[in-house]
Amino acid sequence: MATLHHEGRLRALEEVEKEIAMILQCAGNIVLELSKDKHNASLLDRQLLQFQSSVNRVESELSAQIRYLTQVATGQPHEGSTYSARKDCQMALNRAEYAKVKLGELGRTCEVMLEQQQS
Amino acid sequence: MATQRVLPQSKETLLQNYNKRLKDDIKSILDNFTEIIKTAKVREETQVSRPTQAEQDHYEMHVRAANIVRAGESLMKLVSDLKQFLILNDFPSVNDAISLQNQQLRSLQDECDKKLTSLRDEIAIDLYELEEEYYSSSYSLWDNSDVPLCEAYRRPDSWMSPDSSCSSPSEDREDTDGPLAPETNPQHHLNGHSTTTTEKP
Repeated sequence: MATLHHEGRLRALEEVEKEIAMILQCAGNIVLELSKDKHNASLLDRQLLQFQSSVNRVESELSAQIRYLTQVATGQPHEGSTYSARKDCQMALNRAEYAKVKLGELGRTCEVMLEQQQS
Repeated sequence: MATQRVLPQSKETLLQNYNKRLKDDIKSILDNFTEIIKTAKVREETQVSRPTQAEQDHYEMHVRAANIVRAGESLMKLVSDLKQFLILNDFPSVNDAISLQNQQLRSLQDECDKKLTSLRDEIAIDLYELEEEYYSSSYSLWDNSDVPLCEAYRRPDSWMSPDSSCSSPSEDREDTDGPLAPETNPQHHLNGHSTTTTEKP
């Protein structure tokens, strides 16, 4: 569950990055529209609403992340590791590979003997 | 102990710094954007001539737009720092990721070993039948001191006795291979089960 939360937090931060880009894009579109002789009021309103909502979302999401990290963070480095399980699994795969090689040799030996018998 | 006290303070300071950067950047974006919109308003001519005012407004807008972009980039850097901090210091998530990975690796190892064990059992059954066939045929070359696998399964204590021999197959062998059995060299056995009397426990 927490792994999903971990991935969810990282994905939320990636969404925040897209929102920041959206903020800059909306600001640029508004200034561009204002520079024209005739303004499209509806477009201006939409872009402005988008701009405000993006700014609020970015601020709230980043504040939430910082609050969570304030509760969770310690001063110590994490000392967990998957090395032992990974090594055991690697040894099991080596055992399987070795058995496969030996069975291959046995099969080839049997084939050679059968060919000799046939000849 | 003093070193341990310093580290949490640096974490606290770091997180407070993140908060400050967030507030400053958001404020910078909003203020500069608001000022650009205000500057875009057409005003009546004041003491400064229109071209001069236009030039000033143009420069101001340029600077404020650059400030907005800088604040946006600063926010992106903040997000990157937060991602790094999260990966390194979110211990509950790191613990769960490690335990999940360990679980997956152990299940793969168990599956691998289970398949190898079943393969071993199947091969042992085939080997049993092959040995039974071989040692009951006229092609086998064995002596009374050696016990084939099939017979070893029937009599577990046969490994302890160097003089043990097969009961039922031996009668058949005496008919066919009796004169040859004592002259057999144990090292010529194909199945690898040959042992000398000195090697047996």
